[in-house]
Amino acid sequence: MEGLRMNRRLTWPPRLPKWKHRERINFRIGMLFLLPWTIGFLAFTLYPMVASFIYSFSIYHSKQPLEWVGLQNYAGLLKDGLFWQSLSNTLYMVAIGVPLTLLASFFCAVLLNLKVRGQSIYRVIYFLPSIVPTVASTILWLWILNPQTGILNTLLGYVGIQGPNWMSNPDWSKPGLIMLGMWGMGGAIVIYLSGLQDVPVSLLEAAELDGASWWQRLWNITVPMVSPITLFNLITGVIWMFQYFAQAYVFRGSHSLGYPLNSTLFYSVYLYQNAFLWLKMGYASAMAWVLFIIILICTLLLLKVSERFTYYAG
Amino acid sequence: MQGNAMTADLPTQYPGRSFHAETDAERRKRGQARKVREFFQSLFSHAAINFIGLFFLIPFLWMLITAFKSSEDVFHTPPRWLPYDNVRVEVNGEQLPLYNVQTEAGVRQLAALKIVEGVGTFVDPADPSQVMEYEIQQGAVKIAEPVMHVSFRWRNFTDAMARGSRPGVGASFWVYFKNSLIIAFFSIAGTLLSNTPVAYAFARLKFPGRDILFVLILSTMMLPFQVTMIPIYLFFNDTLHWGNTFLPLIIPTFFANAYDVFLLRQFFRTIPEEMCDAARVDGASEWQIFTRIIIPLSVPVLATVTVFTFLWAWNDFTGPLLFLTSPKNFTMALGLQDFQSQRTMIWNQLMAAATVFTVPIVVAFFFAQKTFIQGIKLTGLKE
Repeated sequence: MEGLRMNRRLTWPPRLPKWKHRERINFRIGMLFLLPWTIGFLAFTLYPMVASFIYSFSIYHSKQPLEWVGLQNYAGLLKDGLFWQSLSNTLYMVAIGVPLTLLASFFCAVLLNLKVRGQSIYRVIYFLPSIVPTVASTILWLWILNPQTGILNTLLGYVGIQGPNWMSNPDWSKPGLIMLGMWGMGGAIVIYLSGLQDVPVSLLEAAELDGASWWQRLWNITVPMVSPITLFNLITGVIWMFQYFAQAYVFRGSHSLGYPLNSTLFYSVYLYQNAFLWLKMGYASAMAWVLFIIILICTLLLLKVSERFTYYAG
Repeated sequence: MQGNAMTADLPTQYPGRSFHAETDAERRKRGQARKVREFFQSLFSHAAINFIGLFFLIPFLWMLITAFKSSEDVFHTPPRWLPYDNVRVEVNGEQLPLYNVQTEAGVRQLAALKIVEGVGTFVDPADPSQVMEYEIQQGAVKIAEPVMHVSFRWRNFTDAMARGSRPGVGASFWVYFKNSLIIAFFSIAGTLLSNTPVAYAFARLKFPGRDILFVLILSTMMLPFQVTMIPIYLFFNDTLHWGNTFLPLIIPTFFANAYDVFLLRQFFRTIPEEMCDAARVDGASEWQIFTRIIIPLSVPVLATVTVFTFLWAWNDFTGPLLFLTSPKNFTMALGLQDFQSQRTMIWNQLMAAATVFTVPIVVAFFFAQKTFIQGIKLTGLKE
């Protein structure tokens, strides 16, 4: 026993008695193959996590030494009106934008799954906007939402609706961004479409023979069969929406971040503002950790709640 | 007969319902009702798919149409669905814009020599010696209005690409385009080189601790970029002094990432184990198996990774925003945002630059449609 413990301390890799010769060799080879990731993990994940955790408890303006302040940053967040504003803006997008987009993408996938002449062309048309680069699509939508010369308000005018001032009215800036998001939801549609193609045709046909209407078949067969995909799209959508940044950064145009009236000051935008415009690195790090915890809780909550609504075939 | 056989079975399956053998007339009637219903269903689905299709198509077309518009046409209200340009006529070897001018002798088509402070100097194209001056506008009444015709202004593209994001920055959108290409190229190289061996180890090498490490690598997907962003920024900018270079955008791609490792591992696992075992029996090393067997068989998934890395690098805005400060290093995404953030919007050139920014991706999509769709299904990539 003594000798074994000595061995453990002195040899690398640690000589666990259960390891076979082959496994030991594979471990060494495996570590070599994993080298790129190991270095990357230490340098770009583990170290930044530790550093950011430490920053979050200190006042840190990049050029000056770190000053430890305990929980001051976190306490400051609670009293920061802009923090709460950015959080509520983000929750608006998560609570309204994500479900709306989810519903719309499911509906589009159902349409694209119908036997329609030119189906593949429609699929391309629905998908193409999602590969337009974010900055390009955001600028394009700024132009479309332009209250005077934009085509959206012109089209609304054709049917007798006076379109709102999308960009400068704080009540309409977020719906504008949600529309921009829906325009680029081709990825979610493709995922739904692949799920729809896996719904057993025999089930649908059996239901049709029994006299189930189109709507009944959709609601009682298709929706439960694609529920794992709904969960996937929902969770990735929520995680992504909490980090919503580039669109909001571009959307303000030549105005300050959050224009109009901080209505597009989302969580990540305010975090960026703190870190890189006001150089409050410690405060921004605290925000980042709060964001991480919020995302973690939301994800776990969704997974927990979904257990009752998700059906896994097989 | 078949109908009878079916109905004979049915009552046992569906107790409580009464069935009787269907007569020919009834069957025909049912068939007609079904046809009518199918007709309306098909009508509705066509209407819906086209109507919603417009939502996806029109903005895309509007980007192209605006990119071809002249500056006179961009701000025309209501907006016109085709690009219009001022008709130009040649007068004394010069191309002059043509105007409809209300003169004493009714409306005449005159060429404008110059327009200064609301007063235009016009000549008659038929008689260039005759020079006249008119106010462009008197109160609310337009005296002189440009004569427009449908015309695609291709020059917008060359003008947009030749200019910088701001006046006098000394770098043009061509430079941004080149910068984006350089970053995308090295990102692809880094991603392919670093992720494949890692994925191979997780897919084909059996060693203790492998599965724990794999869970660890997947859990890094959960971590928002915001958490690591600040220390990474400080590390590259203040420690390594790589600020305003491409290195902070390229170097991290050489150290593997969870998404691509996962994608590649899933594919590598579908390659028959027996092939690797046979090679091992013949004395091949793991490195040889990896480079000689696995990689050549993985071209489709490597194509997917290539396409998506290109898409990601080309699209990336936050990275360049953090690290690139001088316009000569801007990427297309950053340059376009900078161009757009100015007070005066030159929408036709903005849309032309946005189109040039989008074209490589659309071209890639049409060449590798299957690869795109496959990649989305495998990774669930959004945006």
